[in-house]
Amino acid sequence: MNAMFEPFTDVVPSFFGTLAQGPLTLTIFLHTVIVLPMIWIYKQEKARLEQEGN
Amino acid sequence: MAKRSVWSDNRFWQRTAAWITGFASVLLIWLTFDTSAQISMGTDADIQNGVTKRVPAPTVINYKVTYEFNKKRQHEIPVIGGMNAEGTSAFQEKEKFFGRDDWSEAEAAELLRLGKLGSQAKNCMNCHTLLGNGAYYAPDLTKAWLDPAWGPNGSMQAMTGKSTKEEAMAEFLQHPSQYPTHARMMPNLGITAEEAKGLVAFLKHMASIDSNGFPRNFGKMQGAVNGK
Repeated sequence: MNAMFEPFTDVVPSFFGTLAQGPLTLTIFLHTVIVLPMIWIYKQEKARLEQEGN
Repeated sequence: MAKRSVWSDNRFWQRTAAWITGFASVLLIWLTFDTSAQISMGTDADIQNGVTKRVPAPTVINYKVTYEFNKKRQHEIPVIGGMNAEGTSAFQEKEKFFGRDDWSEAEAAELLRLGKLGSQAKNCMNCHTLLGNGAYYAPDLTKAWLDPAWGPNGSMQAMTGKSTKEEAMAEFLQHPSQYPTHARMMPNLGITAEEAKGLVAFLKHMASIDSNGFPRNFGKMQGAVNGK
C-alpha cells in the first residue's frame, strides 16, 4: 500500500526530520557517513603501510 | 617480513574513532540547536497569523482545541481553533476559558506560569506523566484536556456537576477525594481555586502541544478514559 518514498510529514521542515521519516532513514544515513570515510581512511593507511614497506 | 594488515594498524582505528567522534559531536550540537528552535514557544502573533508551532502561545487557551487524526502524518494532532482544508489548525474558532475568550498574552502566560509552578509544587509527576516525564501510577495528563470524559457528555464532567470542561477539571482538582472513580483515587492536595485555574490552563496548553501523536493511540481509545 505504502509507496517506497513518502512525502515529508514533519511539522517543520528540518534536516533531522528527514532522518526520522522511517525505520531505515537514520540507519542508512549513519552507515553512509561512517562507512564511506572509513573506506577512504583504509585506503590511505594501506598506501602508507605499503610505502613504509610493511 | 609479513605484510601488516590495515585492520591491525593503530592509526587506522585512531583516525576512524576521531572521525566518528567529531562527526557525532557536530551532529549532536546541531541537533540541540535545531530542537531548541522547534520547541520554543510561539507567540500570539503566530496564532493570529495562522502559523502552526509545536508549542503554541499561552493565548491558545482562548481557542477550541481538538485532537484530529491527520492522514498525512498517520497520527492524531492537536487542532487549534477548528480545522482547515489541510486538516491542520485554522486558528478561527474560539472557546471560552473560565468565561472569557480574550485572555491577553500576559494574562494567559501568568496563568500558565501559576499552573506550571503549581504542578511542580504539588508534584503531579510523582503519579502522573506530563509530556513523557513522570510516572504511570495515575493517568497520563499530556492530553488530559482532550479526554472526552471531561467533555459535555463525559462522566467526569457529569460527576462534578459543572457545565464546562475547565470548571469540572478545576472542581475535581480542588476536591479529588469527593469524586471517586473506579480507578485509584487522587489524594486531596489542598489545591486552591486560583491554583486549579492555573493548572487547568496548564493542561489545556499542554494538550495543544504537537507531541508527534504521543501518547500513542490516545485519540483512538473509545472515551480515552484514563488517557491510556
